[in-house]
Amino acid sequence: MSIQVLETILLMTIVTYGARVLPFLLFKGNNVQGFARDFIELVPIALLAALVIPELVTPGGSIVILHNPFLWAGLLTFLFSRYVPNLFLGIIFGMTVFWGLDKLLF
Amino acid sequence: MSEESGETSLEVSKGFIFGLRQSLTIVIGYAPVAVTFGILATQFGLTYWEAGLMSFFVYAGASQFIAIEMIHQGASVWMIGLTTLIVNIRHLLMSLSVVPYFPERTLSWSLALAHGLTDETFVLNTRALKDVVGEENRRRVMLGINLGSFASWVVFTMLGGVIGKWLPIQFSGFQFALLALFIILTTTSLTKKNAMTYLLAALLAVVFKLLIPGKIYLILSVALAAGIGAWWRQRERLRGLERQKGQTIKL
Repeated sequence: MSIQVLETILLMTIVTYGARVLPFLLFKGNNVQGFARDFIELVPIALLAALVIPELVTPGGSIVILHNPFLWAGLLTFLFSRYVPNLFLGIIFGMTVFWGLDKLLF
Repeated sequence: MSEESGETSLEVSKGFIFGLRQSLTIVIGYAPVAVTFGILATQFGLTYWEAGLMSFFVYAGASQFIAIEMIHQGASVWMIGLTTLIVNIRHLLMSLSVVPYFPERTLSWSLALAHGLTDETFVLNTRALKDVVGEENRRRVMLGINLGSFASWVVFTMLGGVIGKWLPIQFSGFQFALLALFIILTTTSLTKKNAMTYLLAALLAVVFKLLIPGKIYLILSVALAAGIGAWWRQRERLRGLERQKGQTIKL
C-alpha cells in the first residue's frame, strides 16, 4: 500500500469529515446566510467547469479544436446525457465514443 | 452507537429498520457509481484495498473521482487535500440544516451521524425526518438511512476494484470515463441561475491552465468564479430590496 495514497486519504478524510461534523459539535444558532452561502452553493458547478473544460479544449497543453477526440466526445456525451439521464449508460457512451474518435482522428 | 438504549428495544428496531428500508433507493443509485469508482481506481493504479479505504473514510463520491484523477496526474497530496476541501465544503451547509433535528444529541451520536451525510442521504433524511416524532427515533431513522447507504458505497467499491483488476487495461476509453462522469453531472446541475458562473469558471480555468504550470488553475478559477458569482447574487438581491423600498415609498 503506497504511503502517498494513505496520506491523501487521511487529508481528504480530515477536511471532509470536518465539514460534516463541525456543525454537529458547535452549531447552536442560525443558518449560514449571505455571501458565504451563495459562494458555497456555486462551488460545485464552478468546479465541474474547471475540471472538464480545460481537459476538453487543451488536452496536450495547447488549444486544439478539430483533431481532438476529447472535445468531440465531450460534446456528444453532454448531448447524450441530456436525453438519457442515466449515469452508467452515459459513462459507457462517453468511453465508447471517445475510443471510436481516438481511432478515427489519429 | 448502539449502546444507548433510552427506549424499548421494539422502538429501537422500528426506527432503525425504517431508515434502513428507506436507504434502498440510495443503494440502487450508489451501486453502479461505486462499482465504476472501484474499477477506475484500480485502472488508475490504486489497489482495491486503497479504493475501499477511500470509500470508507472519505465517503464523498465526486471528490473521490477527482482524487484518483489527480493522483494519476501526479498532483501533490496538499493539492488534492485543498481540492477536496473546496469540493466538500458544501457538507457544512447540509450538516447545518440537519442539526436542528437533534437538539439533545450526545457526542457519540454526533460523531456517528455526521459521517453518513452526503448529498443523497441529506435529501432523503430531510424528507424522512420531518414525519418522525421524537429525537431518539429521528436519530435511529437517520442512522438506518446513513448506514445502508454507507455500507453499499463501501461494498460496491471493493467489488468494482476486484472487477477492475481483471479488466484489460488497453481500452483507451477508460481515460475518458471520469470526464464523461463529470459531464453527466454537469447536465443535471447546470441551471439558468448558475450558468454564468459555469462559463466564467470554464474560461478562467482554460486561461490559467495555459499560463500557470501545475494544478493551481483548478482552485484559482473555482474560487474566483464562485466568488464573483456570489458577489453578483448579493448585488442583485440588494437591488431587488432597493426597488421594493422605492415602490413602497411611492405607494
